[in-house]
Amino acid sequence: MNESNAIPPVIPAVTPRQLGDDPAERVPITNAFAAIEALLRQPRRLLFQLRQPGAGGLIAQMVFVSAVCALVYGVVAGTFSGGTQLWAAPAKIAGGLLVSAAICLPSLYIFTCLSGAQARLAEVCGLLAGLLMLMTILLVGFAPVAWIFSQSTESVAWMGFLHLVFWFVATLFGVRFMKHGFAHAEAKSQAGVNVWICIFLLVALQMTTALRPIIGTADTFFPTEKKFFIGHWINCLDKATSGDGRTNSRD
Amino acid sequence: MQPPAGKLNLREISVLLRGESETISVWSAGWNARRFALHVGVIILGAGIYGAAMGWWRDPQQAMFVAVKFPLIILLTALGNALINGMFAPLLGLNIPFRQSFSAVVMSFAITSAILGAFSPLIAFMTWNAPPMTAGVANINYSAIMLAHVAIVAFAGVTGNVRLFQLLVKLGGRYAALRVLCAWLAGNLLLGSQLSWNLRPFIGSPTLPVEFFRQNAFHGNFFEAVFHALRQIFQFN
Repeated sequence: MNESNAIPPVIPAVTPRQLGDDPAERVPITNAFAAIEALLRQPRRLLFQLRQPGAGGLIAQMVFVSAVCALVYGVVAGTFSGGTQLWAAPAKIAGGLLVSAAICLPSLYIFTCLSGAQARLAEVCGLLAGLLMLMTILLVGFAPVAWIFSQSTESVAWMGFLHLVFWFVATLFGVRFMKHGFAHAEAKSQAGVNVWICIFLLVALQMTTALRPIIGTADTFFPTEKKFFIGHWINCLDKATSGDGRTNSRD
Repeated sequence: MQPPAGKLNLREISVLLRGESETISVWSAGWNARRFALHVGVIILGAGIYGAAMGWWRDPQQAMFVAVKFPLIILLTALGNALINGMFAPLLGLNIPFRQSFSAVVMSFAITSAILGAFSPLIAFMTWNAPPMTAGVANINYSAIMLAHVAIVAFAGVTGNVRLFQLLVKLGGRYAALRVLCAWLAGNLLLGSQLSWNLRPFIGSPTLPVEFFRQNAFHGNFFEAVFHALRQIFQFN
């Protein structure tokens, strides 16, 4: 026998494990608490359930949990100034987050299609709801720390910075979940999703300026002056370094 | 050998200090209220005695205050970060229940407190030998005592975290353990330093009255103070 004629052994291609391969992933998610548990500990189970027909109920529950968690974190943020901010801050944070998601949903769907992913609109909505839910439950986890600082400091700039750090960490995890979901949607490229993530971050940051004050106080519920968030941050830093930022009488 | 369930066993403290990760991972997997109470007790006693030794130099009343405040900071830090620490663990690759992450953190704080408690006689001896804390003459002694505290607290903290890391490695592998430990450390540092700021003074100052809280305890925060100190040093405007 000539060795050159020997048939090489067939090396099986390494394919990512399919969602639902594990029987535990096929267990239905029946309530909001189970959804939170699954999101933290069994994200594949949640991703599998979001692909099933009739996932609308689960998505609605996830959006509801996100709204409640955003309200809870908003109350904590509002304790910095107290008074009307105790209801205004939660309303603005929850409303701003949901509106940001709604604004960005169409572009997310377009980018998903452009990247060649086999995801239905319902699945894209589910992934976005997962991003929001993970973000907001992490924010609730940060709430005790945020509250301690709210009661200690008088600097709006410092509190704004701290809330931004918490929001950024929470968003990182949320985005990671979403990208994990898209990895199972057979997307040819992640570039579209990455671009969308930048858009979502910019929209959410601008929303904090469009709905200001969220931490400090003002005479009107909405701002009277239009600003971009970077300009607003520069103004806040100027106030903080000149000493005006050590009071919570301005946002 | 496992002690009978439902019975306090003080030998468990030495198991913790030795970092017997096999036994400790078994402990952390199940909930035992008495064991948890033992760990909390070690924190209260160890950190409390150390706090008393720390405050004694200023005044006996200050010693009493710090004996309450020191364990309070540790327990409040563990409690305040419990939720976020419990969420970080599965997200960073260590799929342990919330209760297990909380008890792991409390265990590491118990190790730290036990070490602090063991060092408290040394600190008390140092304080006893130091001249009375009076304005103007105590600067060198103040610096020496402060440095001793920094060294001991750092040693106790590092040891507690090394033991915690060993437990986390046992539970979920080296990389996941490292990620989780870094996240937990960052959170505990953030909250712990702020709580220490709120609950100051600890050593006390000869020019300021002995009190549980400073008048301005809830005005400003630790990081702002660091920033302002740096600005003064480097003469920023």
